[in-house]
Amino acid sequence: MTHDFDRRTLLKAALGSAGLAALGSVPAFAQDSRIRLYWWGSKERSDRTLKAVSLYQDRNAGVKIDGETLAWGDYWPRLATQAAGRNAPDLIQMDYRYVAEYARRGALLPLDEFVGKSLDISDFDKASLDSCKVDGKLYGINLGNNSNAMIYNKAAFQKAGVAEPIDVTWDKFFELAAAVTKAHNGEYYGTSDGSGEESPYENWLRQRGKALFTEDGKLGLDEKDATDWFAMWAKARETKACPPADLQALDKNNIETNLLTQGRAACAFNHSNQYVGYQVLNKNPLGITMYPQGAGPSPGHYLKPSMMWSIYARTKVAEPVVKFANFTVKDVEGAKLLGVERGVPASPKIREAVSADLDAMGKLVVDFISHVTPKVGPIPPAPPKGAGEIQTMLRRIAEQVSFGRVSVADGGKQYVSEAQAILSRA
Amino acid sequence: MTTTAQIPLTIIEPEKTSKRWRGLSRALVAYSFLIPWLIGFLGLTLGPTLASLYLSFTNFDLLQDPQVIGLANYQRIFTNDAKFWHSMQVTFTYVILAVPLKLAFALGLAMVLNRGIAGLPLYRALFYLPSLLGASVAIAVLWRQLFAKDGLVNVVLGFFGFAGPSWISDPSYSLYTLVLLSVWQFGSPMIIFLAGLRQIPPDVYEAASIDGANKVQQFIKITLPLLTPVVFFNFIVQTIDAFKAFTPAFIISEGTGGPIDSTLFYTLYLYQEGFAYFRMGYASALAWILLIIIACFTAFSFLTSRYWVHYND
Amino acid sequence: MTDTTTVATTPNVSGGRSLLYHVILCGVSLIMLYPLLWMLASSFKPDDEIFGNASLWPETFTIDAYIRGWSGLTVSFGTFFWNSLVIAVLSVIGNVFSCSLAAYAFARLKFPLKNFWFALMLGTLMLPYHVTLIPQYVLFLNLDWVNTFLPLVVPKFLAADAFFIFLLYQFFRGIPRELDEAAIIDGAGPWRIFWSVMLPLSIPALATAAIFTFIWTWDDFFGPLIYLNDASQYTVQLGLRTFVDSTGKSDWSALFAMSVVALIPVLLFFAVFQRLLIEGIATTGLKG
Repeated sequence: MTHDFDRRTLLKAALGSAGLAALGSVPAFAQDSRIRLYWWGSKERSDRTLKAVSLYQDRNAGVKIDGETLAWGDYWPRLATQAAGRNAPDLIQMDYRYVAEYARRGALLPLDEFVGKSLDISDFDKASLDSCKVDGKLYGINLGNNSNAMIYNKAAFQKAGVAEPIDVTWDKFFELAAAVTKAHNGEYYGTSDGSGEESPYENWLRQRGKALFTEDGKLGLDEKDATDWFAMWAKARETKACPPADLQALDKNNIETNLLTQGRAACAFNHSNQYVGYQVLNKNPLGITMYPQGAGPSPGHYLKPSMMWSIYARTKVAEPVVKFANFTVKDVEGAKLLGVERGVPASPKIREAVSADLDAMGKLVVDFISHVTPKVGPIPPAPPKGAGEIQTMLRRIAEQVSFGRVSVADGGKQYVSEAQAILSRA
Repeated sequence: MTTTAQIPLTIIEPEKTSKRWRGLSRALVAYSFLIPWLIGFLGLTLGPTLASLYLSFTNFDLLQDPQVIGLANYQRIFTNDAKFWHSMQVTFTYVILAVPLKLAFALGLAMVLNRGIAGLPLYRALFYLPSLLGASVAIAVLWRQLFAKDGLVNVVLGFFGFAGPSWISDPSYSLYTLVLLSVWQFGSPMIIFLAGLRQIPPDVYEAASIDGANKVQQFIKITLPLLTPVVFFNFIVQTIDAFKAFTPAFIISEGTGGPIDSTLFYTLYLYQEGFAYFRMGYASALAWILLIIIACFTAFSFLTSRYWVHYND
Repeated sequence: MTDTTTVATTPNVSGGRSLLYHVILCGVSLIMLYPLLWMLASSFKPDDEIFGNASLWPETFTIDAYIRGWSGLTVSFGTFFWNSLVIAVLSVIGNVFSCSLAAYAFARLKFPLKNFWFALMLGTLMLPYHVTLIPQYVLFLNLDWVNTFLPLVVPKFLAADAFFIFLLYQFFRGIPRELDEAAIIDGAGPWRIFWSVMLPLSIPALATAAIFTFIWTWDDFFGPLIYLNDASQYTVQLGLRTFVDSTGKSDWSALFAMSVVALIPVLLFFAVFQRLLIEGIATTGLKG
């Protein structure tokens, strides 16, 4: 049994907690650096990370790293609870969506003072650095870039005898998709319905020179934008390019229930680093390409960190933690152990070293990023508080429109007014 | 008091003290049974409970210290929160439908399984299986295969000439599939009913069959009254559980409460507020409102129980 | 009723009726069984066949997932089983012991503030755990119990789950009071009555409590999720959830393979204890 039925514990239990709070977390080996490392992800990520940990421990006597890993859905409640208890892990794998939430509430350590010293990320390009900044301060170390990517079933387009939807406009895209649906007698759709998903929405907004949010955290679009978006998808539903509402609603916003995986639609709107996740659940070979494009010159894409390392503000071992993080992104051996599993490395030198031993799927993703990189625009500013709630709200309104509960125009109106209410509350 | 009463008083006095002593020692013995629970309640449960009550009067974003804001959370809930009313409605619908159905189903099968036919342990285990699986992904998959547009239910309905909707993903019906999910996981109340049935002494049936009562009369006159403590228990516990229902929606909708918030249970809403949107103070206020509703319901049930629950004591 | 030792079953039903029962029960069982069958089928399929193909029969049959699942994680699944077993068994002992004590006091004894405590006890059932989670975490953190099994086990010894107190309370109240009174005339005190009258007569209820405690502890993942950090301390449910990450590459077949294996202890426990549930009265009798 691994119980710690030691005397101190029992004594504290007997005496009650209040007065002894201060004794709470005395590190077991004060002379050593004990680092708690926390990440979400698959078993493969776990294996890779632990290999890097053990190599680092071999090289650095006195550093002991305890890995803690969970799946995405379980990861955040535990992190929130531990942070609320002032007991978060030292090194935290952070998501772009959450970094502002944690940083602005003082839970993360600004890393600017380490840059150029123990954190040697000078060869990261500006975009890879800026994407980890919140309100001008660096709160994350880029673990790899990704971009929005459309993942599609190649065979479905072949069967319809039309071209694959590579770098096409939205109009052309829906045309191809409708052809795919027709070729499958309406039992299999050309694309899933993306009207409730934020990433194609944001891309599309950027194509028309708008954004989800402005620099100062206001809403970056107006009623007409939202209405046009819902109208575009309403038309796609009419032409059967995408499935009806009751089929689309089976998608629970994860890989396993996505209509592409379920064998009900040929295209999924996602991120490049999830390509592998889709491919292992699909028998047909999948393609990866950019989202459909608008009339304007900008494709709307941008590179963003698929994830980053952030450091807990209350860590007692900041320096050793930074050094380990640096090892995983800048040391060739360390970075090679992680590979491109977390995204395509930001450092050109490391990217090259890692690319040497990629498998076919990994290579496809790296090629995609190289293809996108020259076309990307600047990364949007860190989202304001309430952004997560607005994302959920978009999905709800998109469903209201697709189920015919509200009209397209009312949907646009409602989106704007609810978004403003959420922003003013946060 | 008259003088006549004063005289015996001196005589009664020692007896009174011993009575008091007996009362005290009886209380002490009773409390000795309660000690583990009391330690647990005062040491582990009460503190966090009061803390959540305190947090309900604050603005608490999990990461920074809570700021007291008085009744602002409660005020917002009652005056400016459409989702509160909506999720209340969802939860009440769920409670009203799921609890009676589940209890009826559980009692019915417990009666069937209380008979002497072969293979019963196997059936009992099978019937309990859905409850064993808890929150497994397999359940989500099953529900999709049953209740999607081309699901099994619609295949059967199609046989009779009906074209059913996509029950699980149509906001008009999705809540009812969760009610069915709850009924399907009837294992726990069934086991409790079974245990209750086993505790009914057989000789009361013997007496009844001598009296010439038939099966239905036996059930109404003997089984049901003797089973009322267990029925009462299952009713209270299942209702509380249904008010707090979280897992069914979490399995089927991945925590979104969708489509269009049609399965946004009250607790799911509270969870989103607390953990997804970092408003734990608000979530705590929501939780305490639920507690008060459940407490009123439970108190009412206990008050009426004296009219229909038959204890042996 | 003092000398009854037979099981409280109605007599065997006749042949034709019995067949009808079996047909109905089998039908119901099939719906109950389906998720398990699906899980079993999926555990033998390669990952790319699980979601796209609704058929139960694998096109490609492989037991690879069982091997991968058992030893594939950095910590062997055997460790998770051992951890779960330790927690579940301790919980059963703690829960049955502490809850039956409290339930007896509430059901049979007279003491000041009884109704007050009883109401508070029931009240603990009513608050959604999501809002006490963080204060509770802070409490256990200050006790230095985080990352041990203590937050999962100690509350069970302190009757923290009012469900079981209430359950046993209802059953105790269903036991005829004449039996206590007979024991009191024999000179028995509350402890002896509890031990030699109440407990033996409540075997079905105690078995119920044991079954539920075991299963719910085994299935619980939120407690272990919050309180256990090291993979070496993970329980089965936590281990299972590390196979699948909804944002990336997951090992679904291994998840299902280990889910099937994880059901075995629960089913065994159920099989053993349901015997007590059914035979309880028969074997102990109603000797006053």
